[in-house]
Amino acid sequence: MGRLVLDSVSKKFNTFQALENVSFEVADGEFVCLLGPSGCGKTTVLRLAAGLVAPNGGNLFLDGKKIDGVNKECGFVFQEYALFPWRTVKENIEFGPQAKGLNKNECDRISKHYIDLVGLNGFENHYPKELSGGMKQRVGIARAYANSPKLLLMDEPFGALDAQTRNLMQGELLRIWEKEHISVLFVTHSVDEAVFLGDKVVVMSARPGTIKEIFDVKLPRPRIRTSLEANIIRDKVLKSLGIEIKLAMKEK
Amino acid sequence: MKFDTRKKELLINLLSLVVFVILWQGVLILTREGIFNIPFIRLRDIPTPVETWHALLGSLFTHINGPNLTYGIYNHVFASMERVIEGGIIAFIIGVPVGIGVGYSKLIGNIFNPIIEIIRNMPPMAWIPLAIFIFVSGGSIFIVFIGVVFPIILNTIQGVRSTDERLLDAARTLGASESMIVTKVVIPSAFPSIMTGLRIGLGVGWMAIVAAEMVIKSPVGLGYFIWNMGDLGRYAEMIAGMIVIGVIGYLMNISILLLQRRFIKWVD
Repeated sequence: MGRLVLDSVSKKFNTFQALENVSFEVADGEFVCLLGPSGCGKTTVLRLAAGLVAPNGGNLFLDGKKIDGVNKECGFVFQEYALFPWRTVKENIEFGPQAKGLNKNECDRISKHYIDLVGLNGFENHYPKELSGGMKQRVGIARAYANSPKLLLMDEPFGALDAQTRNLMQGELLRIWEKEHISVLFVTHSVDEAVFLGDKVVVMSARPGTIKEIFDVKLPRPRIRTSLEANIIRDKVLKSLGIEIKLAMKEK
Repeated sequence: MKFDTRKKELLINLLSLVVFVILWQGVLILTREGIFNIPFIRLRDIPTPVETWHALLGSLFTHINGPNLTYGIYNHVFASMERVIEGGIIAFIIGVPVGIGVGYSKLIGNIFNPIIEIIRNMPPMAWIPLAIFIFVSGGSIFIVFIGVVFPIILNTIQGVRSTDERLLDAARTLGASESMIVTKVVIPSAFPSIMTGLRIGLGVGWMAIVAAEMVIKSPVGLGYFIWNMGDLGRYAEMIAGMIVIGVIGYLMNISILLLQRRFIKWVD
């Protein structure tokens, strides 16, 4: 369960064509990274998958069901965390279970499980402002997982972190993903990140956003960032992306 | 280091007050000695700080018997504060839901906005004649209400509208219903603004009550007290009353700020 299909999806904002004829698939349990120059509509793809906006053309399906209105079977992880600042770590994680109408005991059990999973023991009653960026994003991930989604949508979740924390969090995310296997659609700017994390790397081109190339990353996990195989794929992706980055620059 | 800076600031604050009082006393002494004079201003009629101090002590708790019976200042303070608190509570109960509705729903906004935009530009004092006319009693509470309710409404609207779009998205993807979004996202997010509205509103209400009490005659209230003292030519008591008004307004502001800091721990 958790198969996302985009079938020739187009999205217009007023006169601006954000996405044109975008088709790809996130298979059940697959980790897909979406890569592309800024402004190519990566975030729009996530928002469409979450049902926060509707496409102007084409369809999106989750497990064969058309996405129409807010898709409550996906978890969204935001770049700037988007935690509820007035809720503690525990209360943030319990938001989804509460929305489902679960009772206090169930909420407690769920939040405890995910606090353990993301390694935030001892911080249950801290407010977001008391946490570092990496810890905030752990809460963001736990909150999304707590709703037992079929699909995790991540919008540059580690973009605001320093390089060290970023590497650490990538490892943490894979550890969590391997424990609670759900499909992931992960938007990033970083080729390194995409090749380290993804089973598949989807490269987009800009203005209007279209799918340019899809790379399968058939490297065994745990992956070694500096391995020759990883570098070969990175090189291919960079070349594919490099051309696109130049095109986007020219247009500006 | 930090403690020292704070101490220094306090010292400067205190000194500024002392210098003000000395200047006040000095100018009046020079005026009364005929050394200093500003044409068209009867400076010599202004009581000195020392006279004001004595008048304050003398009238805090004691009754003054004159042409009108006058209570001690403490009684007037209670009467005025009671009106402000009552008017403030009513304004809060009405203003917050209206602000949330207008801020959150375009339709409610379009319904209420024209009324709010026109009425909020009528100063509370402009309502006094109407209040006298329609209210058998409690007219001054109504004036306070008018003063408090608009800052609350406007700040609530502003707070609701500045709810972080991403938090709304987060709540939606987590499966929140529309009512949960309002109660668990929009209202908590607007809460600091609502408190700011209450604080500003009570400030306006406090000014409004003094004005209302001068016009809507009732035997108690600080507005009435200073008006009456002025009438009686007891200028020192009048100034003492004015100072009490200022100090209480200041204390109200500070106490809400402190409450806000104590109960909204999550704000950066």
